[in-house]
Amino acid sequence: MGLKPATNPDVEATSIELSIDGKTVTAKDGVSLYDVISMTGKIIPAMCYHYTFDPFGSCGMCLVMQEGKKAPVRSCTAKAAAGMVIRTEGEDLFLARKKAVEKHLSVHPLDCPVCDADGHCELQDMAFQHGVTNLANAKQKFIPEDTRSPVLDFNMNRCIACAECINVCKDVLMIDALQFMKKGGFNQVVPKGDLPLNCEFCGDCLAVCPVGAITNKFSKYLYKPWQMKKTTTTCNYCGDGCQMYLETKDEEVVRVTSPLSWKNKWGDRSDTAKGHGGLCVRGRFGFESLDSQSRLVNPLVRESGRLVEKPWLEAMNGLVDRFVAIKEKYGPDAIAGLVTARCTNEELYLFQKLMRTAFGTNQLDSSARYGHMNFVLASKHAIGLGRASNDWEDLTKAKAIIVIGSNITETNPLTAVRIKEAVRVYRAQVVTFDSAITNMSKLASHPLLIKPGTEGAVIDGLVKAAIDLDVVDEAAVGQHPQAFAALKKAVASLSMEQLTAQTGLSSEVFGEIARLFAESPRSIILCAEGIVRRTNGYQNVLKLMDLAWITGKLGRPGCGVSTVTEEPNEQGAVDMGAASEFLPGQGRYGDPEVRDRFAKAWGTVLPSPSSGAHLVEILKRCRTGEIKALYILGENPLATLPASMEVRAGLERLELLAVQDPFLTDTAKLAHFVLPACTYAEKDGTFTNFEGRVLRVRQAMDPRGESLPDWHIMTALANAMGCQWDYQSANDIQSEIMKLLPGYYNLGQPRKTAATLDTYLSKGYATKVGERYQSTPEIHTPTRPFALLMGQLLMHSGKLSVQAPGLITIAPNTAKLRMNTRDLEHLGLHESAKVRLTSDRGSLQIAVQADQSVAPGTCFFPEHFNEPPVKDLMTVTVDPTTGVPSFKQMWVNVEPV
Amino acid sequence: MSITALTKKILHAALFYEIWDAMKVTFRHMLHRPMTFQYPREHRTIPDAHRGALGLLRYDDGRERCVGCDLCEVACPSHCIKVISAEDATRPLQRYASEFYIDITKCVFCGYCVEACPVNALAMTKMYEYSTHDKRSLLFDKNRLYDIGERHLDDGKKYLYAHNQEKNLEESREYRYYFPQSVAKATQTPPKHLS
Amino acid sequence: MAFEDQRTTVYKVNPEHPESETLPTLRTEELLLNMGPQHPSTHGVLKVILELEGERLVKSTPVMGYLHRGVEKLAEDGTYHQFIPHTDRLDYVCAMYNNFAYCRAVEKLLNLQVPERAEYLRTIVAEVQRIIGHQFWLSAQALDIGAMTVFFYCFRDREILLDWFDELCGARLTTSWYRIGGVERDLTPTLIDKLKQFLDYFPPKIDEYQVFLEKNRIWLGRTKGVAVISAEDAVSFGLSGPVLRGSGVDYDLRKYEPYSAYPKCEFSVPVGKNGDTYDRYWIRVMELYESVKIIRQCLEQMQDGPIMADAPSVTLPPKERVFTNLEAMIQQFKLFSQGFDAPPGEIYCGTEAHKGELGFHIVSTGGGKPYRLKIRAPSFIHMGAFDHMARGYMISDACTIFGTYDIVMGECDR
Repeated sequence: MGLKPATNPDVEATSIELSIDGKTVTAKDGVSLYDVISMTGKIIPAMCYHYTFDPFGSCGMCLVMQEGKKAPVRSCTAKAAAGMVIRTEGEDLFLARKKAVEKHLSVHPLDCPVCDADGHCELQDMAFQHGVTNLANAKQKFIPEDTRSPVLDFNMNRCIACAECINVCKDVLMIDALQFMKKGGFNQVVPKGDLPLNCEFCGDCLAVCPVGAITNKFSKYLYKPWQMKKTTTTCNYCGDGCQMYLETKDEEVVRVTSPLSWKNKWGDRSDTAKGHGGLCVRGRFGFESLDSQSRLVNPLVRESGRLVEKPWLEAMNGLVDRFVAIKEKYGPDAIAGLVTARCTNEELYLFQKLMRTAFGTNQLDSSARYGHMNFVLASKHAIGLGRASNDWEDLTKAKAIIVIGSNITETNPLTAVRIKEAVRVYRAQVVTFDSAITNMSKLASHPLLIKPGTEGAVIDGLVKAAIDLDVVDEAAVGQHPQAFAALKKAVASLSMEQLTAQTGLSSEVFGEIARLFAESPRSIILCAEGIVRRTNGYQNVLKLMDLAWITGKLGRPGCGVSTVTEEPNEQGAVDMGAASEFLPGQGRYGDPEVRDRFAKAWGTVLPSPSSGAHLVEILKRCRTGEIKALYILGENPLATLPASMEVRAGLERLELLAVQDPFLTDTAKLAHFVLPACTYAEKDGTFTNFEGRVLRVRQAMDPRGESLPDWHIMTALANAMGCQWDYQSANDIQSEIMKLLPGYYNLGQPRKTAATLDTYLSKGYATKVGERYQSTPEIHTPTRPFALLMGQLLMHSGKLSVQAPGLITIAPNTAKLRMNTRDLEHLGLHESAKVRLTSDRGSLQIAVQADQSVAPGTCFFPEHFNEPPVKDLMTVTVDPTTGVPSFKQMWVNVEPV
Repeated sequence: MSITALTKKILHAALFYEIWDAMKVTFRHMLHRPMTFQYPREHRTIPDAHRGALGLLRYDDGRERCVGCDLCEVACPSHCIKVISAEDATRPLQRYASEFYIDITKCVFCGYCVEACPVNALAMTKMYEYSTHDKRSLLFDKNRLYDIGERHLDDGKKYLYAHNQEKNLEESREYRYYFPQSVAKATQTPPKHLS
Repeated sequence: MAFEDQRTTVYKVNPEHPESETLPTLRTEELLLNMGPQHPSTHGVLKVILELEGERLVKSTPVMGYLHRGVEKLAEDGTYHQFIPHTDRLDYVCAMYNNFAYCRAVEKLLNLQVPERAEYLRTIVAEVQRIIGHQFWLSAQALDIGAMTVFFYCFRDREILLDWFDELCGARLTTSWYRIGGVERDLTPTLIDKLKQFLDYFPPKIDEYQVFLEKNRIWLGRTKGVAVISAEDAVSFGLSGPVLRGSGVDYDLRKYEPYSAYPKCEFSVPVGKNGDTYDRYWIRVMELYESVKIIRQCLEQMQDGPIMADAPSVTLPPKERVFTNLEAMIQQFKLFSQGFDAPPGEIYCGTEAHKGELGFHIVSTGGGKPYRLKIRAPSFIHMGAFDHMARGYMISDACTIFGTYDIVMGECDR
C-alpha cells in the first residue's frame, strides 16, 4: 500500500469506487492506480516503483488493462478514477510484461558472475519469473565504470534507468546529488554535473538500486548474498536508533543494509513517518571498526611501565586484588566509575549496580553527562518526563518545527530525514536558528543565522515576542496565572533592542517566528548540542519549556520540546541510572522510597546520597587524590575533554585505572589494567533511542580474540568482589530490569506520557523564573574576534568512527581549521595557509580551509580529531545545576603566520 | 514319477551330482584369463567422463579463468568449497578469487561445481591418487588446484567435452563475458562484437 | 501359523519331568545376544538384540540408527537439485534408482513432463541398476549362507556394469546421473555398443549362477521354508518388491502404476508361492532375465531427441548458451543459488526399486527448498517384519533373513 498521504493528515480525501479484477474497491481520489491495486494485496511487478517516493513510470512492468483502452496502461503513473474497470492478470499482460523485461535485458551486460547484485537483483528475478529464454538481438553497452567517488561506483552498463536512486535522493533525502544524462547514446545516471560524486553518502541509492548499477566500494566483489549471515540490529552511531542488517561472512562484516531496499517496495506511504528504513553514511559505511585489526584481543596489564598481554584469569585476579585492597584501605568512596553511552541498557544497568553494590560508591557517570543530562534534568523538572517529548512520527507530521542549536543533518541524519519529509510531504514550516550555515537551513522556510553563542538570547526574544504579541494560549496560562505573571515580569526586564543586537535578528523575525510557532496546530522545538552542550544549557531548555507552555504546546499531542542524542544509548544511560543523581527508571537517588526499593531488590545498602559525584566532580576528586581507583568502561575522557580539565594529571595520580574498551584509547594507554570488550556486533542487548524506544541489539559475530561482552566482565568482577550474580546472558539482566522497571521495554514502542506542568508551575516557579531571564552582557573582546566552534561531522560520531577506515577515507582528518571564504579573503589567506590560533588557554599553528557551511566570524574544527589538539584551546564551563561541562565554543584570534 | 527319473534322482543325490555340475563351471574358469590386475603396477583406463579430483583451469593465454563468482560454493551439496573473492589489485575492477579452497575430504565428487561454473574454470580430472598421511594437506587451496588443473589439463578439457560443458568449437569458446572498465583508465579492450 | 508349529519342538527343561528329580534343577533363562553392529552379515551397522532360547530365536529387536546422517533434514537445507547427490548415499549399492525415484517425485510435484528419449534412457539405466542390485544381493546372500563362488562370479559381471556407469556419468557408485526433468548425459554410441555386448553376454552367466545354487542342497536347505511370511502378513507389514512378491502378491509398481518407458515394454513380473527365502531368491533371478529383456526393448525403441525437459524455470540451460546469452546466465545463477520455485503442495511418489517400493514424500511450501522430505525406504520397512519372520528359527538363520530383505543400512538409517 503506497498511498500518498494528504498534505494535511487530519483531512480525509474523498473516496471513489473502481473495479479491479471484478472486485469493487474503494480508494482515495487522485492516487496512483498502482497504489490502489497493491492495496488490494495484488503484487504487480514494478521495477521503478518504491513506496517512499512518487511513481516514476520508466520500467513498463506495471501494465494493466483498462476497459475501453486497447493497449495496456502503466498503472503507477495512471490516476485512479471513479468507475474504472481494471484487469491485472492475463496472458496478454504477462507477455507485455515479458516484453518489457526483454527490453531491459537486451542491453544488459553479461556480468552476473562479477556483479555484486547477483542473487539480489530484480532484473534477474523478473527475467526468471517471466521465463525469458531467447532474446533475438542483444546489444550490449560498453560504458566505463565511474569509480571516482570514494564510496560508490557507478556501472551504467547494468543500469535499467528506473531512476529509483535519483528519486530517493531527490524526494526522500532532498539532496539531489544524482541526475540523468544522455551520454554515449544511453541515458545514464551520473552525479550532478557529471562530476565525481560528492554528497552525504547515505547510500540509500545503493539500497534501492534493483540491479548492480550502483555498488559499494568498501565491499566491492567481496561477497555474494548467499554467503552472508544477516543479523538485524540497531546502529551504534547516534541516538536515532536506526534498524540495520549487519551482513557478516565468517568473522568479518561485509556490508550493512537496512530495511530500505528495492525488495520491500510495497509499503504504506504514511508508514514512512516512522522512518523510511534508510541509513546514513556512518551506519552504512562505518562498519569497518567492528572487525578492525586495531581491536584489543587480550587483556593488558601494566608491568614496569609497559602494558603487557596477560590471560584473563591473571588480569582479573590482579584487578580484583587491587580493587579490594583500595576499598579496604580507603573505603568505597575512593572508587569511581565512568561508562560510555554506547553500551547496551543491560550493561549500563549492570554498571551502576556494580558501582553501587560491589564497590559501594555513588561516584559514577556516563557520557550522557556531556549534554543530554541538561535536557533530561530540565525536562524532568518541568514536565516530569526525562526524555524528548516527541517521536519521529510527531516530527514528520508537525506543521512548524523550530530547530535551534542543532546541526541535525550532521548529528542525527535520519531524524533530519523526518524533518525533510515534514517539509516535502506535509508542507511544514521549519525554522533554524544556528550560528552555522547548516544543511537544514538550506531547506528551511525560515533559515536564521544567529551570532555564535546567542541561543539563549534567541529564546529570550521568542518568549518576549510571544508575550508582547499576545499569541499566548489563554487556556494554558490561565491555569497558572501567578506563574504567567512572574514570567511576564521577568521577560519585561529584557530589552528587545539588546536582544536583536546580540543575536543579529530583527524584532520582526522574533515576532514572526513566535506567531508561527504559536499558531501552528502541531509545533515542535528541537534543541540539541547548540543548547544542551553550551553554557546555561539547563536554563535554556527551561526557557524553551516556557515558550512551549505559554503557547500551549506542552501536553498537546504532536507538540513539545525535544532533543536528539549523539550517542546511541544516552537516553538508556539515564534511564538505567548510570548517573549519580538517578537510580534506574530515573528515580531520584535521594528519594528514600526509591532507594528502599532498589536496596531491597539488590539486597544491599546503597551508598549515601551525599557522596555522589558526576563526571567533572569525579575528575576533580581524582586530581585531589580523594579517588584512588577509577573504572572506565568505554569512556575516553582524556581525548574528549580539553586540557584545562587536567584529566591527565588526575588519571596519573590514580592508584588504579582500569579501562575496558574494544580499542586501545588514549585513556587506556594510561591504564594499569586494560580489559578487551566486545563491540555491539558481538553481544546481545538493547539500546534506548532518543524517542524512548527500546531497540534490540543482536549478536552477529563471535567476539574477536579474547574479548568479552561488558556484562560478562562486570559479572565476573562483581562475583570476584563478593557479590552473587548469576547472569548467564544479557537476557537474564533484561528480566531483572523488567521486574524492577515494569513496562520499560514496552515492545520497542515509546511510552506516551502526558506532560504534567502543575507541580512545576505552582511550586517555586514564580520565584525562580526571574533568574532565567537576565540579559547576559555582550561578550566583545576585540582581540578575540572569531568564535571557534567545535562540533560533529556527518561522517563521524565521537571517537569511535575514527576507527572505521571507510569513514576516514570519506572524511579524513584534514587537520585544518574551517573558515568562511569571506573571512579568508578578509584576512588575506588562501587555502591551506597557516594561521596562528590563539585563545585564552594558549595558541597553536594550524592550516585553514574554506568551508561554505561556516558562518562569517566563526571558525570550526571537528571534535572527532585531536590532531592538532584544537580542543585544548577550549575553556570549560560547568553548569551549576547539572554539572554538564561545556567546551564547544571559544573566542579566538586568527592571525596569518 | 517314472522309475528312470526316480533312479536318476537317487543317483544324483547319492553322487552329489550338483557338485560335479558346479565344478564343471569352476574348472572351465581355470582356462580363462584372470579378470583382476595388479593395481599399483597396472592402471585401469579411466573414461573421459570420470569425476576425479577437481582442478582450476586457465585460459590459453595463462589468465585465470575463475572470476570468483562463488556460484560453485552455493551449488556444492556438501559445502566443501570456499571462495574468497576480491578486486584484483593489479587489474582494477576485475574480480577474481583471491583464495579458493576445496576441502576434498568433504567433496562428494558430484560435479555440480563444474556444471555451475559460468566460465568453465573448474574441471574434474582423472586424478584419484592423492592419499596422504596428513589430513590437512587434503584442503586443496588455490595453488594446488591450479597445479592440478595444469598437470591434468587434457583430462580436464576432455571432462568438459564429455559432460557437454564445453564444445570443441571455436565460437563456443569465445566467451562474450567481459569485465567492467574503469572510467579513469582503460583496462581491457572491448570485446569484438562491441568495438 | 508356521512358526508356532516349530515352537513346539523347542526343547524345554520341564521341572515336572520325573527324570529331573534326580538331576539338579537346571537354571533356565532367555539369553540376550547382541548381533551387530559389527557383524559381517548385518550388511553394515545393523544391530539386532536376539532373545534366545537355546539356539531358537524367541524375539528379536532391530536397533537402527548407527548410520543415521539426517539425510531428510539435509534435504531441507539445500535446493531440490542439490539433494540428488545425497540420494546416491541412501542405498549406496543402487544409487541410480534412488536418483530416479527422487527425480520422479520432484517432477510429480512440479508436474513436469520428461522427453521421451530421456524416459527410455532412464528406464535402461534403471534396469541396469536393477541387475547390479540383484547381482549384489545374490552374491551377498550366497556369501552369508556360505557359498563363496557365486559372490565372485556376480562381482565379476557387476564390475562390467560399474565400469559402464563410470563411462556414462563419471562414477561407479555415486552416480548422480538423473536430473530433475531428464538426465545429465546421453548414451554415446560406444556405451550403447558396450551395453548390447553385455546383454548378449549376461543371460548365460545367470544360468551359471543358478548352477551353483539351484540344486545345491545346502542352499536349498537353508532357504526353503526359512523366513516364511504369508501374503496377508506381508501386505500388512508393508513389504514390497521381491519380498512381497515372494509371498504370492503380484504387486509391482512398474505394472501397477506404470511410469517412464515401462508401459512401452513387455515384461513379466515373477511371483512366488511359498513366501520363503527360496522364492524370493527365485524371483530375483528371474527378474535379471526380465531386466535384460526390458533393456533390449528400450534400446530398440529409443528414438533421438532431447534428454532434458524444456522448462527454463526448472532445468539448466545448455552450458554453451550460458557463456553468450544473458537469459541463460540468469537462469544458471538463479537455479543454482535459489533453485526453482516449486508450487506449494504435498506429494508422494513411489518407484519400484529392486528392493521394493522406494518412495519420496515431499512437502513444499513454495520456494526453492522442500519444507519436509520423507523417504520411504524399503529396507527400513522390511526390517519391521524381522521379528515376525525370524521368530522360531535358528540363530544361524538370522543372517539369511537380513539377507533376504536385501537391506542396506545407508537407506535404512538415512
